[in-house]
Amino acid sequence: MNVQPAANRSFSRRGFLGLTAAAASVPLLAACGGGSATQGGGGAGGTIKFWDMPWAAPAYNDAAKKLAEGFSGANSKASYQIIQWNNFYQTFSSAIASKSGPAVSTGGGFQAFQFEQQGQIAYADKVIEELKKNGQFDDFLPGVLDPFKTDKGYVAVPWQLDMRPLWYRKSLFEKAGVEVPTDWATLLEAGKKLKSIGAFGFATGSGAGNNIGNHTMILMMINNGGGVFTKDGQLDVMNDRNVEAIEFMLELVSNGIIDPAAVSYTTDNLNAQWKDGKAAFGPYVLGVPERVGDTSGDIVVASPIAGPHGDKTALVFPNNIMMYTNTPSQEASEAFLVHYMGQIKELWRQKLMNALPVFKSITELPEFTSDPNNVKIVKEYVPIAKTFASQGTALSADLAALDGGQALNQFTQTILTGRTDAKSALQAFESGLKSVLKK
Amino acid sequence: MSSTTAPSGLARARKGLAPGGPGGGSRNRKDLNRKDLNRKSKLSAQTSRTFFWLLLPSVILLVLIHGYPLFHAGIQATHDGNLIETGNFVGVENFANVLSSPAFWKAAQFTLWFTIVGVFGSWLVGLGLALLLRTKIPAGGTFKVLLLLPWVVPIVVSSTAWNWLVATPDSLIPSIFRNLGLGTPLFLADPTLAAVTVMIFKVWVSFPFMMMMISAALASVDTTVYEAASMDGASRWQQFTQITLPLIARSTYISWILMTIFCVNDFPTIYLLTGGGPVDATTSLVVLAYRTVFQDFATGPGVAIAFLMTMTLVVVSVILYRQIRKSSVE
Repeated sequence: MNVQPAANRSFSRRGFLGLTAAAASVPLLAACGGGSATQGGGGAGGTIKFWDMPWAAPAYNDAAKKLAEGFSGANSKASYQIIQWNNFYQTFSSAIASKSGPAVSTGGGFQAFQFEQQGQIAYADKVIEELKKNGQFDDFLPGVLDPFKTDKGYVAVPWQLDMRPLWYRKSLFEKAGVEVPTDWATLLEAGKKLKSIGAFGFATGSGAGNNIGNHTMILMMINNGGGVFTKDGQLDVMNDRNVEAIEFMLELVSNGIIDPAAVSYTTDNLNAQWKDGKAAFGPYVLGVPERVGDTSGDIVVASPIAGPHGDKTALVFPNNIMMYTNTPSQEASEAFLVHYMGQIKELWRQKLMNALPVFKSITELPEFTSDPNNVKIVKEYVPIAKTFASQGTALSADLAALDGGQALNQFTQTILTGRTDAKSALQAFESGLKSVLKK
Repeated sequence: MSSTTAPSGLARARKGLAPGGPGGGSRNRKDLNRKDLNRKSKLSAQTSRTFFWLLLPSVILLVLIHGYPLFHAGIQATHDGNLIETGNFVGVENFANVLSSPAFWKAAQFTLWFTIVGVFGSWLVGLGLALLLRTKIPAGGTFKVLLLLPWVVPIVVSSTAWNWLVATPDSLIPSIFRNLGLGTPLFLADPTLAAVTVMIFKVWVSFPFMMMMISAALASVDTTVYEAASMDGASRWQQFTQITLPLIARSTYISWILMTIFCVNDFPTIYLLTGGGPVDATTSLVVLAYRTVFQDFATGPGVAIAFLMTMTLVVVSVILYRQIRKSSVE
């Protein structure tokens, strides 16, 4: 009979339990270990971790990966990772907090300023110096670098411009027998005539996940010389120009020039309105014809319109690349960023981008100039474009709370439902913003 | 050797006494009992130790999975930080601010209505269909599968389909209303209609779950009970109210508890269809918590909302659980 001695059995059980405990403690110890050198921002062996967003079709990320992984400098190489937009801020935050974040990344328009507040951003002054040496600094379009300059240094380096140009459908204006608007007064008149043919003279939307409506509100404020912030970055919601702009928006709503259902339009709904010939005029992103599936040439970029006081402004979001303090080598991060900025031309050459470039040389590429809408935006919109900072030039972390926050979205939806007056809506907006910005 | 008679032996045996008599026998018995007890307690202690060590990894894992996030959330709820920094300790200030905020109470009110309509609407539809499918109908199995589709189809797909049905004035359902001379309702743009639409969407998504729960409960009901009731002259309505409902009460309460939790915690149904709008008309507490944390970057108030939701859910669940116990006793 094969009977194990009791002591042996006992030992075996203890041994088993010991092994179990040891195995269970491995993840615990690993979790307690936090960011070791190998888990740190850059990874081991001088590998620069570059995180990028899905800025366009999947082909974009494939091309960007090749550009990033083509880096070899400062005894380093680079790895490439796509980060989805869903909860991207949390993805970055938790990775940075656990010291497993990237060394360099693209991301939200104001993300660099948010992380700068937490002391997580490495300033890009040395990169700018390098760009001056290799001639790329002089290649920047006018004014695109200024929003990133702070007292402490350059928080990030811009690499593409997300503009909100005005688009219109030619055939609808011809059918309504009206000229394309050049100012607010003609916008109102054209809108009334377009309504008579069943089209909307000012297309926008603020449904689930659609921020075009929010951008429209800020665009109209700054187009009237107003905006949410003063030149020195102070909150200034209740100024007369803003009140006037919002009264005009309410007039567009009450006249049916803005679709009464626009408040709930997702981007898909808005695309459908443009495709189905319901939307005649309105602010949107680059590449609307391709986006909505009508490349017949009927949907084209309009010239910027003037406000009642003659102000003419466009709205732009300068997207940027930032470096983090958690890196295996700051020198390698800088070398990587200089390398990547020198390569991004390829993305426009392959027609993968749905945004404007920041370099003049890219705007001169035949692949870019072949689209007359692109040429018009660079020529007419870029020189007059302002950011969410409104009258100010420098961006800040506060703008993230404005852009994605509840206050602006609620304000926009209140206006689009038309069940308010301008001053009450602006007061509620200001109060909502204050409660967020004080944090 | 013992000289006890058989009957007295049985009596002793019943009393548990040893054959040697109460004197020496008792001593022997005590020794035996002590030894037995010692052995048992040794075994018991050994078993307990074994169980303890076997359970320890699972307990550690549970603490890590549930305890740590809860503890961390508690820290966040009492601080004024953001997603990166914990911030300063503010005590119950976040809870006080949340409870004094009109947005919280508006969201709480919507959550309440959304839950009431979601639970009882889906239960009524599920009950009706379960009773219908109980009768012999041609292709009953196929119907059951088809009726499960709203529950099976991913919510991203069904919300897109519903958006296509109602979003614009030219969508299918507004067009039908217009052609019937009922105007052009803006189902997602009008705050009241948007709230109603979201609730109907929730009922549509949830009724198959209720139908399955009730079908399972109905399957266990003995049909002879109905035959007996018929012979006693009970009407169909009396049979339904006096037999069917009491017999499925237990699973009904369970399904109510589950659906209450599903409704209160439901994020995608609302967020994908309306994003919580227009003008917060469909913002539930979970949507408000999400927006507060991830859009306003205010983790303290956002987590405080989540805590308040959890506490409310626990209270409601306990009340419904008591109903289950009550129905079991009855």
